[in-house]
Amino acid sequence: MQKGKILLVDDEVAFTTSMAKLLRAKGYQVTTAGTGKEAIGFLEAENFDVVVLDLKMPGMDGMATLIEIKKLKLHTETLILTGHGSIDLALESFNLGAYDFLTKPCALNDLLNKIEGAGKKKDVTEKRDLLDGMIRIKG
Amino acid sequence: MRNGFQATDNSQPNGSEKQRKTHYSRLFRRFILLTIVCSLIPLLLVGWGINIHYTRFSNERMINAFQIQVEYHRKIIELFLKKHSSKLHLIAQSHPKDYLLSGSNLNNIFEILNREYRSFTDLGIIGADGYHLKYIGPYDLMPNNYADTFWFKEVMEKDLFISDMFMGFRKVPHFIIAVTRLEKGEKWILRATIETEVFRSLVENVRIGNTGEVYLLNTKGIFQTSPRFSGKIMDKAPTPIESFREGINVRIIEKHTDHHGKKYPRQIYSQTWLKDPPWLLVVKQNYDEAFSEVNHANYATLILLHLSALIILIVAVFITRHMISVIKNRDDEADKLNRQLLQTSKLASIGELSAGVAHEINNPLAIILTEKQILLDMTNDTAATTPEIKGQLSESLEQIDVQIKRCKRITHGLLRFSRRTQSVIETINTNQFISEVIELLEREAGSGGIKFFTDFEENLPNILSDPSQLQQVMLNLITNSIDAHDDKAYGSIHVRTRSNNQQGVEIVVADTGMGISPENMDKIFDPFFTTKPVGKGTGLGLSICYSTIKNLGGDISVWSEVGKGSEFKVFLPFSPPPHLLEGTADNPKDYQMDIATVSS
Repeated sequence: MQKGKILLVDDEVAFTTSMAKLLRAKGYQVTTAGTGKEAIGFLEAENFDVVVLDLKMPGMDGMATLIEIKKLKLHTETLILTGHGSIDLALESFNLGAYDFLTKPCALNDLLNKIEGAGKKKDVTEKRDLLDGMIRIKG
Repeated sequence: MRNGFQATDNSQPNGSEKQRKTHYSRLFRRFILLTIVCSLIPLLLVGWGINIHYTRFSNERMINAFQIQVEYHRKIIELFLKKHSSKLHLIAQSHPKDYLLSGSNLNNIFEILNREYRSFTDLGIIGADGYHLKYIGPYDLMPNNYADTFWFKEVMEKDLFISDMFMGFRKVPHFIIAVTRLEKGEKWILRATIETEVFRSLVENVRIGNTGEVYLLNTKGIFQTSPRFSGKIMDKAPTPIESFREGINVRIIEKHTDHHGKKYPRQIYSQTWLKDPPWLLVVKQNYDEAFSEVNHANYATLILLHLSALIILIVAVFITRHMISVIKNRDDEADKLNRQLLQTSKLASIGELSAGVAHEINNPLAIILTEKQILLDMTNDTAATTPEIKGQLSESLEQIDVQIKRCKRITHGLLRFSRRTQSVIETINTNQFISEVIELLEREAGSGGIKFFTDFEENLPNILSDPSQLQQVMLNLITNSIDAHDDKAYGSIHVRTRSNNQQGVEIVVADTGMGISPENMDKIFDPFFTTKPVGKGTGLGLSICYSTIKNLGGDISVWSEVGKGSEFKVFLPFSPPPHLLEGTADNPKDYQMDIATVSS
């Protein structure tokens, strides 16, 4: 089964390192970024399926990063994973187009499920857009 | 931490209660003092002032009246004497001596004089040598020679003489009036004795009250008339006589005892000298009697004055007492409000702090969790370890997992407690809503021998509120109720709904559990306060309920009795505070957040 490409964005290096280890063990391709800026750089360069994004980061925080990501108009889905959970933040991130909102610490299975869901959604939208494009070309 | 919270505000109420009591009694005293200063003292001052003034005025009037009376009496006496001496003068001047001496002429004149009333006792003509030339009267005085008597000399010089009272030849107090006439170079005297009774009655019959007396004294201090009380005619008066003075002299004689040991009360005493003869007219009366009416009026006004002062004082006491009770009630209310405010602000500051802490702890927890997962995976994957070590290792990792979950429960609880969320307001059918919550917990409760009873008011109006927050509150309350039965084999939880006063609904969760001890009552809504064993409760449940319900514009109160159970009463308004209603429309609904539910 083909596993997706994941970009982990968190200023906690220890977290990204160990989480990357775990996800790789589950068969994902994982890239880690320590800041929002770095993440945007990666996203411009490569195609990722899912971005796992922390909200509280020095410099460009999660929300700003999410806005930047949306500006890139990628099919990549963004999953928020943060220690600073609140309904307000969750709602705000949904408004900005996040796929889902998880709070740390979360069980690995939950995270994997969400990543899986996000990946699937990305595939669906990508295919739909592709179809749309083809229809437009045909038409 | 648990103990720390329990030990905080204790043992203060008694001290402040006492302080407050003294504060109120001080306030009471101050109000009374103020009333006295502002109304009683001026009233009394004015009253006393008027009284003193009035007393002085009326005393003056009384003395004036007394003076007038004395003046009147003097006039009467002088008039009497003048009238009689004039009559004698008229007779002496209009009749020659020879005519008077001849036949019954003098007798006729005597008869005419006494025709109206008998005021002359006798009438006689005395020659210059002092012998009676003629005498008409009841006594045999013809042979008497008056040449050596005191009055003879005086009348010969002055032409008119009125004597003092004297006994004379007849041994009866009497006085005489004598006039002279110079006829053909020779003086003769017309002498008459005044009917003593007529003159005395003129003075003695004057009655002034019960204690008043009027009498006459001569220059030597001998009574010329019998006073009513203080002596007899011809006696010497006990008081020394004063020398001649013009006018009427009125004075008050204080209480005294005379040399006979006779006691005299305070008296008003008035005297005036008659011109001729030089007699002293004395009018006196007991002061108390003379001034009784004035005194009565005085007493009446004083009594009225003090009575009204007393009434003012009593009214002031009552009003002040009432005011103090009003103030006390208001203070109590303010206190209650302050306590609530304190609780709210305490919750707010703790909330801010705990939110920060919780956020920061979540990150390391996440790392620990992932590292644990890595370790677990590695343990499962490597074949190098023996099954025994593998078992031990996974057991430890399991324990790490359990503890991380516990931490997570605490941090999530803290976050929920401190949450400043935008509420999602929806229409809620309270009865149905609570039924769903109970359904969630019924299985767990059933296994603990606890039964649910519901008493829902039919047709309970729907309310506008945040269902997810409310669900949290109801879950917490009912979970607490279930936990309250830990030491009992069975029990019941009653949930009741009622509409309240057209303002909202009331949800009551009553259990038959262990109850809350009075000393814990104040603290049950404090964060981290719990009576559950370590690890079983975070102590946040009820404080979350409290802050949530307050946030939704409602109220939560508790009643409990140790051993019998507790009753939590939640009031929810039909509509939440206006600020919660704003922006409801543009928020996505129906999204069930998994961060906000208690991990069971």
